[in-house]
Amino acid sequence: MFYRRAGIRHTRYQDERQLFPLRFDRGLILVVLALLLAAPFLFDRLYVSGYLLPWLIWTSAALGLNLLMGWAGQIHLGYGAVMGIGAYGSVHLVRFGVPLEIAMIVGGLLSAGIGTVFGAAALRMKGIYLAMATLAMQYVVDFVISHSSAISGGTLATLQVPPVRFLGIPLAGEVPTYYLALAVCFVVTLFMLNVRRTSFGRALAALREKDYAAQILGISTFRYKLLAFWVSSFIGGAVGAVLAVTYLRAISPDQFHIELSIQILAMIIVGGLGSVLGPFFGTALILFAPILLNNLLGFGANAFGVEMPIDLRAHLPLVAYGALVIGFLLYEPLGLAKIYANFRNYLLVWPFRHAQR
Amino acid sequence: MSAQLRAVAADAPVALSCEAIERSFGGLRALKGVSLDLREGEILGLVGPNGSGKTTMVNVVTGFYPPSAGRVCLFGEDITSLKPHRIAARGVARTFQNLALFKGMSVLDNILIGRHTHMRPSALGALFYWWWAEREELAHRRVVEDVIEFMQLQDIRDEPVEVIPLGLQKRVELARALVAEPRLLILDEPMAGMNQEEKEYIARFVLDAREARGVSILIIEHHMDVVTSICDRVVVLSYGEVISQGAPQEAIGHPAVVSAYLGERAARRHQAGSAA
Repeated sequence: MFYRRAGIRHTRYQDERQLFPLRFDRGLILVVLALLLAAPFLFDRLYVSGYLLPWLIWTSAALGLNLLMGWAGQIHLGYGAVMGIGAYGSVHLVRFGVPLEIAMIVGGLLSAGIGTVFGAAALRMKGIYLAMATLAMQYVVDFVISHSSAISGGTLATLQVPPVRFLGIPLAGEVPTYYLALAVCFVVTLFMLNVRRTSFGRALAALREKDYAAQILGISTFRYKLLAFWVSSFIGGAVGAVLAVTYLRAISPDQFHIELSIQILAMIIVGGLGSVLGPFFGTALILFAPILLNNLLGFGANAFGVEMPIDLRAHLPLVAYGALVIGFLLYEPLGLAKIYANFRNYLLVWPFRHAQR
Repeated sequence: MSAQLRAVAADAPVALSCEAIERSFGGLRALKGVSLDLREGEILGLVGPNGSGKTTMVNVVTGFYPPSAGRVCLFGEDITSLKPHRIAARGVARTFQNLALFKGMSVLDNILIGRHTHMRPSALGALFYWWWAEREELAHRRVVEDVIEFMQLQDIRDEPVEVIPLGLQKRVELARALVAEPRLLILDEPMAGMNQEEKEYIARFVLDAREARGVSILIIEHHMDVVTSICDRVVVLSYGEVISQGAPQEAIGHPAVVSAYLGERAARRHQAGSAA
């Protein structure tokens, strides 16, 4: 219906391989992008810094993990640690007076280096065993950060982020920090979209599906598994730096514990493995569903005058949230992105359902 | 026509030579000193009963199983025990007995992966797609489109690979092997589970691939009608040993081959029949 496909005839290969071959999709993307750009002027400051900013940051991180898990098929349970390395690395550099642009990249490189060392386990292990190896990385990194006072600044210490500038603009207040997160998210998204249509992305997908067939086509499993860990960890480290500078502003070791890893893992599983759109949906659900459910429950309880013990009221949203995640996975194991794709496919041919391929 | 081709193949340089290949799995000797030569532009059939070591032989050549003893040479270069992706880079492509296509990707993307050894994939290329990768992608797309046309896959190129019928999937896999522009193409039972029409299609594609691209082909096949009609020479394996080789009809008619397939009694009857 909206997505009119009739009459679209590409005459060049580059037209057929463009990111969004349908005009409606292009329009939709432009509208969303315009909304995101105008958000600081349209919405309340509190919403921008409390909802949109974390959404963009967590989505960028989830996209980075999705490259590793969704594309290359390598499980990783220590992504929070990867982000922690980037965050601590870059904050220390910033405190030494290194410009943020460079600190972000160095933080990413640091994460990439350490992440690849632990990722080397993937050369020998698969599936659940690799999960254990990456889990070990999470705990090793946690331990090293919190027990070496040179990194964490001492027991139970938090590390303050000094005022920073990005490309000459001081990152103070909601607006500049929001735009930095938006820019990083934009670049990561663009990268992930393009990965799908390059030989790099195809090599990773081949590795995920059938590694023996990938080898005989000339794809070195050694090289590409490590490369997947490298790139994914680099994104994780750089996003960790952004998280520290724009959102947390003071970092402590407990912010990068296993909870963060599991949270990001849940985002891509609920959103859709191997999808670019998925992490956007998944992050929104995981971050905001508990808040929304809490408000809903509070509103309902007040409106109907139901007396509720305070601990029940605190825990019921979490129960509902768990049920929601399980429900989504039962109904559509391929995630929210697949639900969107089904809806889109339905509209593509509506009202002529028999035309569906 | 085919007689001429055979004459050409007889004094052509050797493409693949395997010398006394041994391979054991634990106590099982799957290959007991197998030697075979494949000449340039030749179609060599590798046949034998189930479990005779045909696929093991192919896995030795393509680097999946390093041989316990022996030597594999490709166009005069020793490739024994090289890793599979290094052997692929030297111009060897193969298809698998049980299809090895990549699910969740379109037919076109599956075939594009075949160009991997000719491309320079990089993560930065993906980030700066419009400046770094697009031109390369398009150049290789043209090569892939040539093969898609050659294999008559035009109308399914955008389908997800798991939804098309088996006969077409086999054809996609052959196309993926061909776009790598191999010098040696190894086909492991390309016609398993196919009907007569699909078999004839594949047979024609194999012959055309040799004609148009000058590729040397090693083919494992159980359909004897196909083997005798498209192969220049046949090597018969049984329990990891070469029991017969030569022109297809003679090699397959050899008493040792008849006995390996059908048993001693049938072999005696066969001999009595051909003597009378």
